[in-house]
Amino acid sequence: MESALRPNRPQSVERSEGPFCHLPDSALRDFELLKTSALYRRGTNLFREGQAAQQIFIVDQGRVRLSVSAESGKSMTLRIAQSGEILGLSAALAGTPHEMTAELLEDAEVATIQRKDLLCFLHEHRDACLQVVNLLSQDLHMAYDRVRCIGLTRSRRPRSLGVH
Amino acid sequence: MLSPYGLDIVESCLTCKTRTERLFCNLPAAALQSFENIKFASAYPKGAVLFVEGQSPRGIFVLCKGRVKMSICATNGKTLIVKIAEPGEVLGLSATVSGKPYELTAETVDPCQVNFVKREDFLRFLKEHSDACFRVAEQLSAKYNMACHEVRSLGLSHSAGEKLAKLLLDWSSRNGEATKQEPRVKIALTHEEIAQMIGTSRETVTRLFADLKKKQIVQSRGSTLIIRNKAALKQIASD
Repeated sequence: MESALRPNRPQSVERSEGPFCHLPDSALRDFELLKTSALYRRGTNLFREGQAAQQIFIVDQGRVRLSVSAESGKSMTLRIAQSGEILGLSAALAGTPHEMTAELLEDAEVATIQRKDLLCFLHEHRDACLQVVNLLSQDLHMAYDRVRCIGLTRSRRPRSLGVH
Repeated sequence: MLSPYGLDIVESCLTCKTRTERLFCNLPAAALQSFENIKFASAYPKGAVLFVEGQSPRGIFVLCKGRVKMSICATNGKTLIVKIAEPGEVLGLSATVSGKPYELTAETVDPCQVNFVKREDFLRFLKEHSDACFRVAEQLSAKYNMACHEVRSLGLSHSAGEKLAKLLLDWSSRNGEATKQEPRVKIALTHEEIAQMIGTSRETVTRLFADLKKKQIVQSRGSTLIIRNKAALKQIASD
């Protein structure tokens, strides 16, 4: 991951609209303690396709372009992730390389959690593990929507579907 | 016990010989016993539809034996086969967890044994067994990885030839064939089904196979395809 503009600042425990906002207080507190937050500039790649997944990322405010690329260098946008989404989750859980590249579309505050800390947290908090399963299911729904869109509407020549 | 479809049905997960080789099935004893209590073992012939895209999720289907074709359909009837599920996979998982409709249609391509678990039972099972919850998370991650791979393949490949070459290389990397000089691929799908996998027509797939055979890049022996020139196939895949 590219370097932050302004590293590390203590996270306050807030029950906002985050992915684990429905967890019990104790679990939410434990989750917040795992986060390390920093400010990143627009254009920063939080992670790259094929890179080992060492962390997950939660963008506090700002949008992220998620894309895949071919060996030729051509890339295609999968979708635009919104504030509060957890990024890199499936790769971090599975211990596989990231399936896509995540690029910040604006300056943003980004919290990171190390993979090993996340796994320990999920083992200790069953509710959180269930919530992660829910989040992954939603990610998969979106991915299949994209497959449907691309696979069933392609003409002979590729259309401009965010292909660069 | 043999089913009407020639399958040797495994009635109990506790006695299944292949259980430990499969990610979801390799559960700790307590979780496995709980799962045993909530699952229903069934046998299906080839061509049976387990669930349909858009249907409300009834539950999950753990594929024990056989293979299942997972596809998406457009309103004009055009079909895209997303993948062929293998034994050990849990089908209908994300829909069952999220409560959203099944995203794909699941149709058996072989006689299959399937363990069905009702949605409410499965969600309760996940709440009670964090190990199982983790296995589910891992399966979902694997499916997500595969879906991204599919998007990359469909969206960034120039031609049907490129997509077919990628598909053959992907198939040839399984079942211990990856390191062989001339890997073999068991083709269990028709040209029409292969066309549905790569988003093209049956005629194009037939023509592409004929081209590959003419250039001696591949060779057919019954339903087995031998990749004679892996380097050439990789070249086509990356064009």
